[in-house]
Amino acid sequence: MESLDFILRRAGWSIVAVTDGEAALEAVRRHEPRLVVLDVMLPRLSGFEVLKQIRADSLTSNLPVLILTAKGQQQDRRVAEELGADRFVTKPYANADVVEAVRSLLGEKLTG
Amino acid sequence: MRAPIGIRISSRRKALGISQAELARRAGISPSYLNLIERNRRDVGGRLLRRLADELTMDIATLTGESEHRLIADLDEAFADPVLSELSAELAGARDLVAVNPAAAAAIARLHRAYLGAVASADDYANRLRSDPLFSQLLHRILSGITAMRSGAEILEDVPDLEESDRRHFLASITREARGLGEVARNLIGEFDRQAQDRRSLSPVRELDDLIFEKDNYFSDLEAVAATLRAEIETAGPVGEPALAAALARRFGVRVERTPEPWSDPEGFPGQYRFDAAARVMWFQTSTIAATRQFQLARLYAELAARDAIEAEIRSPPLTSDTARRLAFLALSSYLAGAVVFPYDRFLADAERLRYDVEALRQLYTASFEQVAHRLVTLRRPGASGVPFGFLRADPAGRLTKHFPLPGLLLPGSGHACPRWALYDAFRSPGALVRQVAGFSDGSRYLFVAKATARRPASYADRTIHISVMLACDALHADRTVYAAGLDLNNLEATTPVGPACRLCTRRDCADRQEESMAPGGGAAAIRVPMVPRDFDQEPAFGLDAAVADGETGGKGGHWQ
Repeated sequence: MESLDFILRRAGWSIVAVTDGEAALEAVRRHEPRLVVLDVMLPRLSGFEVLKQIRADSLTSNLPVLILTAKGQQQDRRVAEELGADRFVTKPYANADVVEAVRSLLGEKLTG
Repeated sequence: MRAPIGIRISSRRKALGISQAELARRAGISPSYLNLIERNRRDVGGRLLRRLADELTMDIATLTGESEHRLIADLDEAFADPVLSELSAELAGARDLVAVNPAAAAAIARLHRAYLGAVASADDYANRLRSDPLFSQLLHRILSGITAMRSGAEILEDVPDLEESDRRHFLASITREARGLGEVARNLIGEFDRQAQDRRSLSPVRELDDLIFEKDNYFSDLEAVAATLRAEIETAGPVGEPALAAALARRFGVRVERTPEPWSDPEGFPGQYRFDAAARVMWFQTSTIAATRQFQLARLYAELAARDAIEAEIRSPPLTSDTARRLAFLALSSYLAGAVVFPYDRFLADAERLRYDVEALRQLYTASFEQVAHRLVTLRRPGASGVPFGFLRADPAGRLTKHFPLPGLLLPGSGHACPRWALYDAFRSPGALVRQVAGFSDGSRYLFVAKATARRPASYADRTIHISVMLACDALHADRTVYAAGLDLNNLEATTPVGPACRLCTRRDCADRQEESMAPGGGAAAIRVPMVPRDFDQEPAFGLDAAVADGETGGKGGHWQ
């Protein structure tokens, strides 16, 4: 999502953005990111599938993953938790919530 | 709620090159008082308003910005949205946007309405979709769309040094998402059963509201048509039930029947009257009162004789859907009936003469309280208007079932109003007139006059439901009415402190608060906080350290903080 991309870049991180699940796995392998932000609903491969494969790969089993879930869909959270997601933000979100979640997962200090 | 009249005065004054001291001198007030007025710290009305308007060579309606009151109300609601709650402190003075950049204000109001519509749809359907795998994709699409809109809007709002190309990009993506969401919502709605579709949604009712507001609830073409219809009916006798029945028989071959049997339509909804077009029979249940029969006969005559005139009105721009047009047709055929039963000039003269005594007018016209109240709010012909009134109707559950806005008075569009309003007090003494001087936190005050009336039961088994009807006028006009008698309008202690509705109200000191406020400034947090503090509690939703009520927060008048 372009606004998410914009907000995260503005917060100082370099971002690789993809729009489907398969591309997501490919990007994780290629760029070795510090963190992955994953929407549960992705074309081609669902967010859950992507998460599962990230965790299954020993190289990325501890990679921090932030999941964007849908408001009102409690089972999304439960499944994601079981699959090993680290943190959730429900849509629609406030931009600040996503930035804060990323910072917190990366162990960076919150600015003023 | 007051318009930002101060900024209009100061802008106009500066445009004319007049100093504050000079304008104050010409208007006969001190420069420091004018300064307070220009900063919206003092109200201005009556003669002073006229003097200022004259000195500034502006007409009063432009100065007070009556047409913008609706926009201000919409803007207040937008700024009160939880999405913007963190910005509430900065938004306190944002109402000036209406005077400074009305197009931007209108854009924000429109975006907010679209956002509300999309969120309401999403919330509404989320419950039904939760377990349905077929719809979860569409749900996600809606949510993603809303998320994109919200996220983009926050960027536009929060990022101070946003590049022009980025700004345009996000503005365009918000517009695109809003359009896309409209389409998705339409598809989604199509999947549900007919009754869910027929349920009144946010948009058609508000479109009808917009039409009525645009016309200031006065339809001059329909008034002219009403005069013609009245002349036709009067050939059969003075306008009343017998002449209406005769006119209907003569011109349309319609027979009027009254029977005691209850009747329900094909879907099971009971009615007190109905028109059988095939059999050309207008039926009333015996228990209907004369006022109802007279009015509905007038309405039937209007629908049969002046269908084209009504349809011409409903082709107006604010109405974009069939539902909106259908609602408008019903509203306007009632309007026309009212114009026939209460001819404008005569009714206005009687209203003025009787000082707006609704009971007296009822007797004169064989009408119900609601019918008279309804007609009073339409006395808005430019140059020949009555006291401006707003109108509200509520059912015993407190829900607002009809409303006609009064510029300046924030009426909730739907749902419930402030529990302190006379509208609800009236239920406790059915049939009695209840009056109240209501004061809002910005210093504006209104005279509220309400009455709860019951439909006459058709049988022992028939439940008697009361509905309450309320008229509201600015306290400035109250002394033109009979209802001000004995009320000391200048006594602030006799004024009931009220708000528009709990969720929109900024008062912190109200013992009658029923729900938390989403307004900037918040409401009492005490509703939700346990008595015994717990270690692991999060901070309360509305920070108590922000609960300082100073004269500036949330309103201009300062009296009712």
